[in-house]
Amino acid sequence: MSKVVARPLITVYNEKAEASGSTVQLPAVFRAPIRPDIVSFVQQQMSMNRRHPYCVSEKAGHQTSAESWGTGRAVARIPRVRGGGTHRSGQGAYGNMCRGGRMFAPTKIWRRWHRKINVNQKRYALCSAIAASGIPSLVMSKGHLINDVPEMPLVVSDKVQEYNKTKQAVVLLRRLRAWTDVQKVYKTRRFRAGKGKMRNRRRTSKLGPLIIYGKDQGLTKAFRNIPGVSLISVNKLNLMKLAPGGHVGRFCIWTESAFQRLNALYGTWRQKSKLKSDYNLPQPIMTGTDLSRLLKSDEIQKVIRRPRQMVRRASVKRNPLTNMRALMKLNPYSAVIKKSAAKVAEARKKNKEALLEKKRQASATKKVAA
Amino acid sequence: MTMYILIIVWSIINKSFCSYKVNTKTQRFCRNEYNLTGLCNRSACPLANSQYATVREEDGNCFLYMKTVERSGFPRNMWEKVKLSKSLEKALRQINEYLIYWPGFIKQKCKQRLLKISQYLIRMRKLRLRRQKKLVPIQRKQERRERRREEKALVAARLDSAIEKELLERLKRGTYGDIYNFPQVAFNKALEEEEDAEVNMEGEDYGEDEENEGEEAEEEIDEELEKELEEESENEEIEYVEADSDLERELESESDMEDIEPKATTSVKDNTRRKPRLEIEYETETLSKNAKRTV
Repeated sequence: MSKVVARPLITVYNEKAEASGSTVQLPAVFRAPIRPDIVSFVQQQMSMNRRHPYCVSEKAGHQTSAESWGTGRAVARIPRVRGGGTHRSGQGAYGNMCRGGRMFAPTKIWRRWHRKINVNQKRYALCSAIAASGIPSLVMSKGHLINDVPEMPLVVSDKVQEYNKTKQAVVLLRRLRAWTDVQKVYKTRRFRAGKGKMRNRRRTSKLGPLIIYGKDQGLTKAFRNIPGVSLISVNKLNLMKLAPGGHVGRFCIWTESAFQRLNALYGTWRQKSKLKSDYNLPQPIMTGTDLSRLLKSDEIQKVIRRPRQMVRRASVKRNPLTNMRALMKLNPYSAVIKKSAAKVAEARKKNKEALLEKKRQASATKKVAA
Repeated sequence: MTMYILIIVWSIINKSFCSYKVNTKTQRFCRNEYNLTGLCNRSACPLANSQYATVREEDGNCFLYMKTVERSGFPRNMWEKVKLSKSLEKALRQINEYLIYWPGFIKQKCKQRLLKISQYLIRMRKLRLRRQKKLVPIQRKQERRERRREEKALVAARLDSAIEKELLERLKRGTYGDIYNFPQVAFNKALEEEEDAEVNMEGEDYGEDEENEGEEAEEEIDEELEKELEEESENEEIEYVEADSDLERELESESDMEDIEPKATTSVKDNTRRKPRLEIEYETETLSKNAKRTV
């Protein structure tokens, strides 16, 4: 599956940080999918691989012939040291709770120190890390000060590989506006918090730019004394340097030959890698990730149903027993009933009145008569 | 393709790490200098939006910064800077012109931001015209120290005695001419001093001078009292001359008792009595007095 991605031309900068005129097309690695989860996982696994085994002595806590005194001696039943004549005699032994006893679960040397990581995973992580190093936003969010850098990714001419004086290296970094990143390193030099201080990890600082070269013709010696600057060869790209701490986006400065080698190393999607047997760049899971564009596309629009445009509003419940309208809604005949009932009531009333009238008249006439 | 990148950028910034993100209990802030609202949101993040604009203020001038997709790969030239006019109306129209087809959120926020900035600039200008109050914090330890030192200095200066000396000197020099308003306490003090001085020097005139000086040291007594004193002295002169020894001893004892309170009543009489006496027999008395005192 070929991927149509925009791969612009990157200008190569000379020692004075001016466009030297030559350009390199962006290697396909820089358009590989960025998977911070894979990078984080692989980096974690890799960092386990440089551990030194440690454990407590096998014999620790067991170099006694202690035996429990059993019950009936008004003491706890842990094994106690035999013999007499010293403080040690009669003291508890062997247990993790005892002084001078063996610890709980003594650390063993056959702990699984190193981790095996699938080659493809390692390569995936590396591709992601390289791709992320080409995105200025990610490099900035990692904390590198690249506000004035001319271009990302930053490619310098091969002349730099012949540097052998640190002075030249510093001048180059200044011209490229990468010196602020190095200054940041200077400012953050401090002592480590914790016991690492007495374990040969006394000083810490932030990291500065990473210089990736094709051929070392003195370059390493020139740059290595600058604090924060790391150097690696293209052929030996290291995830621990490209994504330190498991976070992608280290500020990388490439030399031209290094930059051009990337296509051969990792391949483009059209072509397999030349230097790695049977390897091609990782395929993204989705080629089109713009959600809004997807939703508007014909294929999807054809299949989805119409949107429900009905607006349901909350209505107030009216009591039919008191509210005439509500009653009518439920039982339209109720109007008729009511009307007729009203008529009947009226008729009755009239009759009653008439009767009364009659009675009154009758009594009146009677009176008159009498 | 860029959309895809931005989605990834935002998912990383949002869920993972962003160096500009600051978390508080209620809100997420963005410390990026180009952020429009100062909050960390999908719509307000300058890193996660390819098309973005802000209004920033520099030395009283407002600038409109714009960022577009085309320049996203070149951090140095990414932000286009436009100077806005100083009048708010014109500046708003300028914003409308530059951000004409931009999303409504950004237009709205830019204008709001411009409004706020212009408001605080006005306020700043007004403040500068008024008297500026400078807040100076109180240094507790220093205040405490200074207060104590002031007290000590006050005690060390001994203002009373200095004033006394000064006034006495002035009397000596004669700057006051002839004044007879002598406060009792000062008079007694002066008398004592005279006694001591006379032991050393033996001078009638000197004694008189000292009297006068001592009396003038503290002007407390009213003129009326002083007049009475003078009258009494004139009257009593005759009487006291007759009974010397007894009265002198009484006076001595009284003068010995001169600590604080009894002075008020007795010292008046003493002053008047002693005036005439000093000339003749005082010396012997002082000698004896001293002898008593030493014992």
